[in-house]
Amino acid sequence: MASLATKLASASLNRTFVTLPATAAGIRTVLNRSAHFSSDDDHHGHGHHETPATPSLSALKTTSLNSNRTFITAPAGLAQQKRFNHTSARNTTDIPDFSKYKNGSGDSTNRAFSYFMVGTTGALSVVGAKTTVADFLANMSASADVLALAKVEVDLSTIPEGRNVTIKWRGKPVFIRHRTAEEIEEANSVNIAELRDPQNDAERATKPEWLVMLGVCTHLGCVPIGEAGDYGGWYCPCHGSHYDISGRIRKGPAPLNLEIPAYSFEEGNKIIIG
Amino acid sequence: MPVKSNNGTVANRFARAGYNVIVKRNSVFLTTIFVSAFAAEMAFDTISDRVWDNINKGRQWKDISAKYTTE
Repeated sequence: MASLATKLASASLNRTFVTLPATAAGIRTVLNRSAHFSSDDDHHGHGHHETPATPSLSALKTTSLNSNRTFITAPAGLAQQKRFNHTSARNTTDIPDFSKYKNGSGDSTNRAFSYFMVGTTGALSVVGAKTTVADFLANMSASADVLALAKVEVDLSTIPEGRNVTIKWRGKPVFIRHRTAEEIEEANSVNIAELRDPQNDAERATKPEWLVMLGVCTHLGCVPIGEAGDYGGWYCPCHGSHYDISGRIRKGPAPLNLEIPAYSFEEGNKIIIG
Repeated sequence: MPVKSNNGTVANRFARAGYNVIVKRNSVFLTTIFVSAFAAEMAFDTISDRVWDNINKGRQWKDISAKYTTE
């Protein structure tokens, strides 16, 4: 104990580093600065080995320790804990074995599987998109009952020559006239150049004996009267438009000829309008 | 530790061939997708129609129309 104090004193004078031994007595030497003079604290000494020439620790601290800058490293602990998690038992530069985690199917199989999933997703999306669009279009298009009313079939054999028949088609009247040979000749004899809406008779009637027209005046939408007017055709009573035997406007305010709907002749002397 | 390579197996060679034929060119890949979508839709519609007709056998107009129409 005394020799330790001496060592500390000389170390402080010579500015050397001293690592204290990790013993309880050594700790006490440093921590209890006046350990040498407290007899009840120091059971080993009993004052026999103390030399008065040796400076106490407190004296060392106040004078030489501060001025001479002696550093004392205290021991970290009485027993050093051994650290097991970083030992030389395993070489840390070894690459671990990942074969347990690798799948055994090979590179190309993985790649093909990934692209297969991508392609399948795309194909199903295409089907879904197409179905959605088709459903919307089917919803917007005309329903079956509307389509059923869109066409009208007329039996022409019941219409005698020189007579008009008016039928209803899509809420509008349609005039069908079975023209005589004289009427056809009269319709063809008109000078096209002097008409307000120039059209020859062949453009208006695919079969000359059958004239099919929409029965709506092109002026303001009244229904003209058949076999009337100055030209032997139709006459609109609302504002006095005169149409000839081919349905062309000849006199009055209407700007255009009577409109021709789409129609076709079918077998069995029938006509389908629409 | 040597890792066993499976790049030479039959499945792997098959997968590589399929990749080279179908996926490698994007135009071919997209065409394949659209064609298979068309085929898948047709197959789905046909199969589901058949299942439906099978479940409702004898109850639909096309099954009983012979009794009520004379042609």
